[in-house]
Amino acid sequence: MLDHAQDDLRRSFEEGNYLESEALLKKYKQDDIYRSKDQVLYNLESGIIYHFSGKYDSSSVYLTEAENLIDQNYTKSISRGVASFLGNDNNLVYDGEPYEDIYLNSFKALNYIQLQDWDAALVETRRMVYKMEQLDIKIKGIAEAFAKSDSNKTTDWGSKKINIQNSALSHYLAAVLYAKSGDFDDARIESEKLSIALQEQELLSDSRSSSSIDHTKLISPNNYNVLLAGFTGRAPVKVESTARIFIDDDEDDSDDDFYVKFAFPSIQVQPSEVQFVRAVINDTLNIHLDLVEEMDKVAAEVYSAKEPIIYARALTRALAKATGTKWVSNVVKKEKKWLGELISLLGFIGQEVSEKADLRGWQTMPGQAWLQVIQLPEGEHTVRIEHLNHRGRVLYYDEYNIKVSPTTELELIESIYAN
Amino acid sequence: MKKYIILSFITAFLVIGCRPSQKITRIDTDTTTDFSGRWNDTDARLVAEEMIADALSKPWLNRFNRSNQKPPVVIVGRVRNESMEHIDTEVFTKEMERAFVNSGEVSVVANSEEREQIRDERLDQQSNASYESTKKMARELGADFMLIGNINSIVDETVDNRTLAVFYTVNLEFVNVETNQKVWIGNKKIKKLVERRNYRGQP
Repeated sequence: MLDHAQDDLRRSFEEGNYLESEALLKKYKQDDIYRSKDQVLYNLESGIIYHFSGKYDSSSVYLTEAENLIDQNYTKSISRGVASFLGNDNNLVYDGEPYEDIYLNSFKALNYIQLQDWDAALVETRRMVYKMEQLDIKIKGIAEAFAKSDSNKTTDWGSKKINIQNSALSHYLAAVLYAKSGDFDDARIESEKLSIALQEQELLSDSRSSSSIDHTKLISPNNYNVLLAGFTGRAPVKVESTARIFIDDDEDDSDDDFYVKFAFPSIQVQPSEVQFVRAVINDTLNIHLDLVEEMDKVAAEVYSAKEPIIYARALTRALAKATGTKWVSNVVKKEKKWLGELISLLGFIGQEVSEKADLRGWQTMPGQAWLQVIQLPEGEHTVRIEHLNHRGRVLYYDEYNIKVSPTTELELIESIYAN
Repeated sequence: MKKYIILSFITAFLVIGCRPSQKITRIDTDTTTDFSGRWNDTDARLVAEEMIADALSKPWLNRFNRSNQKPPVVIVGRVRNESMEHIDTEVFTKEMERAFVNSGEVSVVANSEEREQIRDERLDQQSNASYESTKKMARELGADFMLIGNINSIVDETVDNRTLAVFYTVNLEFVNVETNQKVWIGNKKIKKLVERRNYRGQP
């Protein structure tokens, strides 16, 4: 039911119908679609929907709750752990993917920028940076922890090295905020880290981002008073892959096949139709936004680092269930063959039904972040953010009327086309 | 007999099941409470207490009094939050203002945000208040010193996230508004260790 609800929510969000998305969330809450174990997801989805609805305070409340729950869910429930072992990982409390934990801070930062609170926005960018720095350490730590607890030493718990140690988005926002706050040294440092982050992103497969983006202007705060932000595409989706391993049971002389089914989630990046994002100012001036972060590819890269651990855990659980059932049925068969066969059959059915990959994930997270800073003169302006395909056709646009005054320090204008 | 047993069970269930889902106890504001490991009211109180005691006991105050024959006038400027948590620095700066005013040894004037409201009111009075009650313009008390500072944090976590150490450092300074000279620097350090359990009983 949750999967269907998430699909409906994503569809209404992709259509830009945020009121419907809000109504769906309220309905799901009333119908208890998001259970206590899914609250991280509920809060993430709510946070994004309220952000793009312009309800920045509410958005921050939900995203903060998601962040707190991710932190609290470090402590695992014993009862849920047992249920997960007997069933599947969908019984576990969803504690968020590492990339979800990182990107929620980016939207909290944008919330605070909209509310003109630079200090609070900088707190969020610092949290993003810290989490990215901890990420590689954490992934290795998980692998070591599993290896330590594996007494048989039959599984390779190694994790892949991830090529992403920085978030370009966090450094871009931090550079802007430090510059606007008058901290020019910090702005320069963030600008340098942004360069490194963009170079790392170029190494990702099929990356479209470029380290040749001119971001040096970020450290000159008097050169801009408007921050344009375009979000496109969608977060990668998890799809279920299943595998069946046939095991020859020497004790059993019957022709029954003994096999282990295990299901695991793998991540798929959903390519966006959008190839360019531009801002049209007063129908006269065209300004291209830079692709600063391919959040979908970074997410996939981060997820891939823990894939060996996920596969090994799924296999271990499935093996334990299958061999446990087989042992019980063999023991019972010695007394009553028909009962042993029944247990074997029920075990087979149970395995087929219960072994299900955990496909939960943040549906409304965008796939790409495009940014640009510009200086607009005093007065009223029309800003239209257009999302274009590879042929230059406008797929979608948002238009805003903004008023720039002498006291305008940084006006944030956002647009999202989640396709 | 059976009926009484069943009735007892139902009564016990109702009594236990109808307990309030939460219990509220009023406690002293000085009580230390640490639930999350994050910055809290205890930390703000500790900072304020130490800074107040330090600021009022250091030589700059007597030196100023001797030179000027009046208590110094202080304005609270910007205390930057450079940590990784949302910390309301006003909680301890307000406490310091209160202590300064009540001590009689330091005068405090409204900060830039507060001043805007007062200036609007004063301007409004020029047009709308009676002549006798209208407050004069250009009579504000200029500050001698500005209180500025920052709060920073360093976080260290074990690889398995079980243990987290957070180190906060709060720096506050009085800066002479005329000469930019720093006459007092206060510093308060707080360190916390957060240990997480791997497992819990309830879902």
